[in-house]
Amino acid sequence: MTDGALGGLRVLDLAQGSFDYGSRLLAGLGADVIKIEPPSGDPVRAMPPFPDDEPNLETSARHLHLNAAKRSVVLDLDTPEGCDLLRRLVAESDALIESYQPGYLADRGLAYDDLLETKPDLVMASVTHFGQSGPYAGYWGSEIVDVALGGYLKLTGDPDREPVKPYDDLAVSHAALHAAVAVMVGLTHRDATGEGDYFDVAAIDAAVFLLGGVAQTYHFDHELPVRRGARLINTNPHYSYPSTIRPCMGGYIHAHSNNRNADLLAVLMEGVGIEELLDTPNGNADEIDKRMDLWMADKDKFEIVRRAQELRLPFTEVLTPEEILNDPHLKEREFLVEIEHPVAPTTRQPGAAVRMSATPWHTERAPLFGEHTDQVLGDLLNLDVAELAGLRERGVLA
Amino acid sequence: MTRPLEGIRVLELTTAVAGPIAGCVFADMGAEVIKFEAPRARGAANPGAPPALPDAPDHPYNRTPLYNELHRSKRHIALDLGNPEGRDLFLQLVAKSDIVLENFSPRVLRDLRIDYPDLCEVKPDIILTSMPAFGKTGPYALRGSYGPGIDAMSGLSHLTGYPDRGPGKPAQFYLDQSSGLTAALTTMAALRHRRLTGEGQNIELAMLEGELQLVAPALQDFTMNGRVQTRIGNRHAWHAPQGVYRSTGDDQWIAIAIETDDQWRALTTVLGQPEWAEDERYATEAVRHSNQQDLDPLIEDWTAQRSHYDAMHELQRIGVPAGAVLDAPEVHTDPQFLHRQTLVWADHPEMGRFPHTRTAWRSRRGNDGVAGPAPLYAEGNQYVFQELLGASDDTLATLLDALVIVTEPQGGR
Repeated sequence: MTDGALGGLRVLDLAQGSFDYGSRLLAGLGADVIKIEPPSGDPVRAMPPFPDDEPNLETSARHLHLNAAKRSVVLDLDTPEGCDLLRRLVAESDALIESYQPGYLADRGLAYDDLLETKPDLVMASVTHFGQSGPYAGYWGSEIVDVALGGYLKLTGDPDREPVKPYDDLAVSHAALHAAVAVMVGLTHRDATGEGDYFDVAAIDAAVFLLGGVAQTYHFDHELPVRRGARLINTNPHYSYPSTIRPCMGGYIHAHSNNRNADLLAVLMEGVGIEELLDTPNGNADEIDKRMDLWMADKDKFEIVRRAQELRLPFTEVLTPEEILNDPHLKEREFLVEIEHPVAPTTRQPGAAVRMSATPWHTERAPLFGEHTDQVLGDLLNLDVAELAGLRERGVLA
Repeated sequence: MTRPLEGIRVLELTTAVAGPIAGCVFADMGAEVIKFEAPRARGAANPGAPPALPDAPDHPYNRTPLYNELHRSKRHIALDLGNPEGRDLFLQLVAKSDIVLENFSPRVLRDLRIDYPDLCEVKPDIILTSMPAFGKTGPYALRGSYGPGIDAMSGLSHLTGYPDRGPGKPAQFYLDQSSGLTAALTTMAALRHRRLTGEGQNIELAMLEGELQLVAPALQDFTMNGRVQTRIGNRHAWHAPQGVYRSTGDDQWIAIAIETDDQWRALTTVLGQPEWAEDERYATEAVRHSNQQDLDPLIEDWTAQRSHYDAMHELQRIGVPAGAVLDAPEVHTDPQFLHRQTLVWADHPEMGRFPHTRTAWRSRRGNDGVAGPAPLYAEGNQYVFQELLGASDDTLATLLDALVIVTEPQGGR
């Protein structure tokens, strides 16, 4: 695995769960990403869904996706020998990403400053819920806690109900993406100066970053932004509308307009009298919804989007997972890939996050638990068969 | 102090949010990012804009908070690329640049004849980062969409919201931030490849395909088990209980997420019901998950008597993951965000001092932060056309007369 834009770079991956997304991207870009798993496995291996709902260390859908194109080494960091092996692997690597609770690595003599002794130009990113220091650093995190503190949760959902959490692990995944960018920033800095760098990445910060513009708008108008269902948060009456989700035959569509093409709405929905509402479209949102609903009630979602897009109105369908898997556009682009695996059934999973004309994207299957322990420790640390057997017997590796 | 991307020049041909965010990362990390705007992209009026500083000129088009957040640390020029002279100036600039970043529909660069092959003619190792909504090929290649519309097609809308209501949307436009950072990551990777090999390339980030990475569990659940996942509100897919509960005050809430049996035991003691830890309805995660709706009113009886912050600290002290549901002003004053300096302040010449949101990392060597405020409209014309391209005063005046270059927006409303 040495081709790709990041070919020749080695990254140790001590991230876990959905924090694995950052190193997944680096692996996709061609870095040699070596996942260092505890004897119980990366917790992502225990996260549903599984085929037939039967838990298995090798078949978690999340593991198959997030650990694709990585290698797996199992080391027990609760043993001094395990910690020593990790130090020696750091000496052979360029970067390290980890997501343990703050203090976990330091307790084992594996903090960034400790690792600098074996690798003076190490680039390292710690990605956690709250960050490494500050009043909440010792608190317990979780996706819903991250989006709550970051202000994201309060702005998701309907105004007449409790705030509602966005799907799955969006803030944690976004923090992991920031960690991957930070590692690239650090490697760029290292290549220019010969110095390493350490990055402290927090999911609560990622949640604030996702709010794009809310802090800035609030600063100027002092109006408390409120959740508006599927509508944009902006309440300036002059602002464009619709930007919302409405029902139609066969599901829902995302209806969108902007101030430059608002008149096209009247062309699309001829005869419903929408023109009179478009001077202050955002101020007339409720009435625009009513008229759209009447117009769309007997129209098919794919047909509405087709007609709107013909007029260059940026309407789209709200798709279900099943519809996505059968989507003709994604099929033609061969986006979803089938990956064979010795234990898991062949499933279709997302392919390249990005396509590059000169360097490939990697989607090799996720590694079996400890599949590369001997290979990596043999190749990089020159451990022989007898040494590996001894370490295995003492429970240091698996 | 030298920033990591110093010496790199990025030409940013972007609109909306995702493209500008990618440029923002480059600008904050020290690259010279020149934002291009078409003279007729917007009008000079800007209803609802915040007031100008008392001694600043009244240019409402310079006072859009979101625009200025997304274009901090950059230069700005206004050039008509549809004009042959404008196109020629652009290509002269490409020859002196490292990266072209764009997020238009694939037809735009093609029609302007500034697509990848055209750029390579003047700069063989150029990196062109394209962020089309759906990709440059396929039946939807020419579809238009903004972030929320792609959130809809990625499944995020279907999967976000209340179980008893229709599809929702994540607070803002998740996709834009996520695509912007992914584009920045990939472009830096391409720069490294160019450093090592001398080879440039064309990056195609189909925003939809970047976002589908995050919906993988739902896609695979269907292929593995034929299950169509749908909205589960504030529940966790397998841990329990998890929810958002009312606290004192109007529209005040606390989020609680129990992920282990130990955390559950701790919660039962704080609720004064330690016997629930052994209760057959709640003793294991699996049964708790099925029965958690019965727990909601009992948990809310406790949370409703406390402020969201008091409840959070009390629960966290005994090891229970909990977070106050904060709003914008609370984020500004929360001690953890103040500690991390999540928001940093910069002085804008016409709007005054206002906060910018940093990326989520803090660097030991200062490779983070915000390099400077947003540029005023067309402030970079003189720098770009005269200093970089060597145009004379007369030439610049002629170009301005012909509206190839402008100093104020020329669009309609």
